[in-house]
Amino acid sequence: MTFVLLQLLTGLAGASALFLVSAGLTVIFGVTRVVNFSHGSLYMLGAYVAWTVLGHLPRDPGGFLLGVLATALILAAVGAVLEVALLRRIYRAPELLQLLATFGVVLMVQDAAQWIWGAEDLPLPRPPWMRGFVVLGGERFPLYDLWLIAAGPVVLGALWLLLHRTRWGTLVRAATADREMVAALGVDQRKLFTGVFALGAGLAGLGGALALPDGTANLTLDLSVITDAFVIVVVGGLGSLPGAYLASVLIGVLQAIGIVFVPKATLVLVFVVMAATLVARPHGLLGRAGATAREAEAPPLVLPAPVVLRWAGLAALLVLAAAPFAVGPFALSVLTEAMIALLFAASLHFMMGPGGMPSFGHAAWFGLGAYAAALASTALGAAFPLALLLAPLAAGLVAALFGWFVVRLSGVYLAMLTLAFAQIVWAVAFQWSGITGGDNGILSVWPPAALTDPRRFYWLVLAVCAGGAMLLRHVLYAPFGVSLRAARDSALRAEAIGLPTAKLRLLAFAIAGAAAGLAGGLSVFSKGSVFPTAASLGRSVDALLMVLLGGVQTISGPLVGALVYTGLYDALLRATDWWRLVLGAAIVALVLAFPEGIAGAAQRAWRRS
Amino acid sequence: MLSVADLHAYYGRAHILQGVSFALGAGEVLVVLGRNGAGKSTTMKSLIGLVRPRGGEIVFGGQQVAGWEPHRIARAGLGYVPEERRIFADLSVMENLEVGRQPPREGLEPWTEARLFALFPNLGRMRARAGGRMSGGEQQMLAIARTLMGNPRAILLDEPSEGLSPLIVEQMAHAILALKQAGVAVLLAEQNFHFAARVADRAVVLESGRIVWEGTMEALLADEAARAAHLQV
Repeated sequence: MTFVLLQLLTGLAGASALFLVSAGLTVIFGVTRVVNFSHGSLYMLGAYVAWTVLGHLPRDPGGFLLGVLATALILAAVGAVLEVALLRRIYRAPELLQLLATFGVVLMVQDAAQWIWGAEDLPLPRPPWMRGFVVLGGERFPLYDLWLIAAGPVVLGALWLLLHRTRWGTLVRAATADREMVAALGVDQRKLFTGVFALGAGLAGLGGALALPDGTANLTLDLSVITDAFVIVVVGGLGSLPGAYLASVLIGVLQAIGIVFVPKATLVLVFVVMAATLVARPHGLLGRAGATAREAEAPPLVLPAPVVLRWAGLAALLVLAAAPFAVGPFALSVLTEAMIALLFAASLHFMMGPGGMPSFGHAAWFGLGAYAAALASTALGAAFPLALLLAPLAAGLVAALFGWFVVRLSGVYLAMLTLAFAQIVWAVAFQWSGITGGDNGILSVWPPAALTDPRRFYWLVLAVCAGGAMLLRHVLYAPFGVSLRAARDSALRAEAIGLPTAKLRLLAFAIAGAAAGLAGGLSVFSKGSVFPTAASLGRSVDALLMVLLGGVQTISGPLVGALVYTGLYDALLRATDWWRLVLGAAIVALVLAFPEGIAGAAQRAWRRS
Repeated sequence: MLSVADLHAYYGRAHILQGVSFALGAGEVLVVLGRNGAGKSTTMKSLIGLVRPRGGEIVFGGQQVAGWEPHRIARAGLGYVPEERRIFADLSVMENLEVGRQPPREGLEPWTEARLFALFPNLGRMRARAGGRMSGGEQQMLAIARTLMGNPRAILLDEPSEGLSPLIVEQMAHAILALKQAGVAVLLAEQNFHFAARVADRAVVLESGRIVWEGTMEALLADEAARAAHLQV
């Protein structure tokens, strides 16, 4: 019993840091409507900056407090710079591009942090006062964690006072409801937004600094924290501070207790709680309907490609089919990867564009397909065609199950939920080493003898992927695709003319999942192995980049994007160690330059001429 | 005070305002009349900067304000009360007023909460009520009061009588005349001709984004043919 109590308290202490991050995320979202992916990076920077600052200060409680506050201020300044330099320019961009741009910041911050602080984990040497403890039921509990537990409610109270008892807070709350009206009343939104972003960043920094004594400053903090923060914000209700606190406590305690009883399934446990919450309250515990609503602009019509483009497509296909006669084995393997990427991107586009369901975790289906094919072929000894067939089946089936939650959400909630689910698939692949081999992956999964010639395998991949992409295109112009687009543009009106919108979306989600799974299955046989990275966030972002680079509102866009991205990525990896920095900067630059994607911009230029 | 010349505005590709010109004098009440979709609200939004005009001039207080950000136009002394009122639902009456607060303006008696509650007594009795829990008429009063907190020299009122009971409409008319008395120029967009006739000095009539009639309110009252052609449904 004491043990459970101690775990409970540990969970509460962790919840405070989580709350600080989520509070910043939620406040920033409320006013700017930007989901700041780089929020986890600000937390990570908070931990690193605190490590440096505290190293220069006296090792007593006063010095610690001073250092923590200084860290929060430094991060607030970083946040303000970030807002002025980047976010200010993309407030009008589609929300996924905003997510993507801030993900570019994540990549850059990772390399910057590694460059400044190195790749080693940095623990904070605990001064004697911090090693104090209290005895609870015969067990020691760190005194510092008790202070941490208090920090959550204290910050919640301070934020409440700031938002309800100051003019600035009143303006922030007004802007959360209707920022255009606030501007029409003479308030400079830019200053307000910069201020809010600085506040959010400062909170994230404070969280990172306060959590440092219980852990280390390391390069994986950013993504692990942002995933937790997304879950918390979704569970608590986007835009609600008390909701964020409640959810932080729930998730923090769940993680602390879960790690004792189901050490390998903590993430799954968290997901189950999130799913249960969303079923009962689709807008989170204390969220409100409409908090995510954003004035939706009607997306441009997706029209069949002009004849020239069709001929170009056919020509490209012929060139690709003839490629094995002209290029060497390395180029051929890159081409094989590019074809797989093409199907993967097309499947994401299918649900994002016409389906209107932006996913930040599309790698989940790719990974599921990959593991299904690999396990079928190694553990079950299934023949190649059967193993390959199992990939889309398994991915599509799980997507249909998971889709039940997804189709009830929209926009940012949907993106966050898909991200969280992908993280869980990744965690299962990583933690369940008995079946999946964990970090070592599953090796030696090769296609049968008839296909060991890389050229033959390439032709198979080309046929399956190009065929799959064309099939997806075909579905879009079939009655199903038209109904799907109607459901995206106005769910209410679509319902009114008798379209079952939830079913349509669910089916689209399952189809997209199956197609991504097929791509995953092919990739296993192409590489001969599968690792948890198949379901990683990086993979999801790859797909998003391809689609967004190409442009969501065109069908050819994702295909162009997939080819360009695979080529660029490959060149980049070989050219520099700091590829994250370059890639991140490239993403940010592309979003700033082409808010509608490469193919979108080309289409616009075409129409103008 | 406010003069508009050859104003053009678009929603996406739709050409809504096709060369609108008129002038609002100091202390004057000018009504923009016209049927649904004539471009009244777009005119108002273009003037405050919420819709960016693609052509033409807007001179306010001697400055060319076309293309400015809304907050700069508002701070220059042009107030805007939108048709949908756009009250901050989670904020109390007092907090809604606080959002509108701007420094006093030279030559104008500053609007205080007390002065506004004298103009709209209903508001004074519900200071702590959340904006979302007020009736339509109360919200309309609050929307006007909120904009007045910015001490505007001229105010854009977009269909203040819409959907209100006759009793409240009467209060609105009274309030508009009080604003005129206080030296605030009023540009009113209306469909309710009788309400407009009660408060306006002059009128312009919009049809499909163009001004088709212009003159004093008396002249419009006398010109039955113009009313039949441009205003009757």
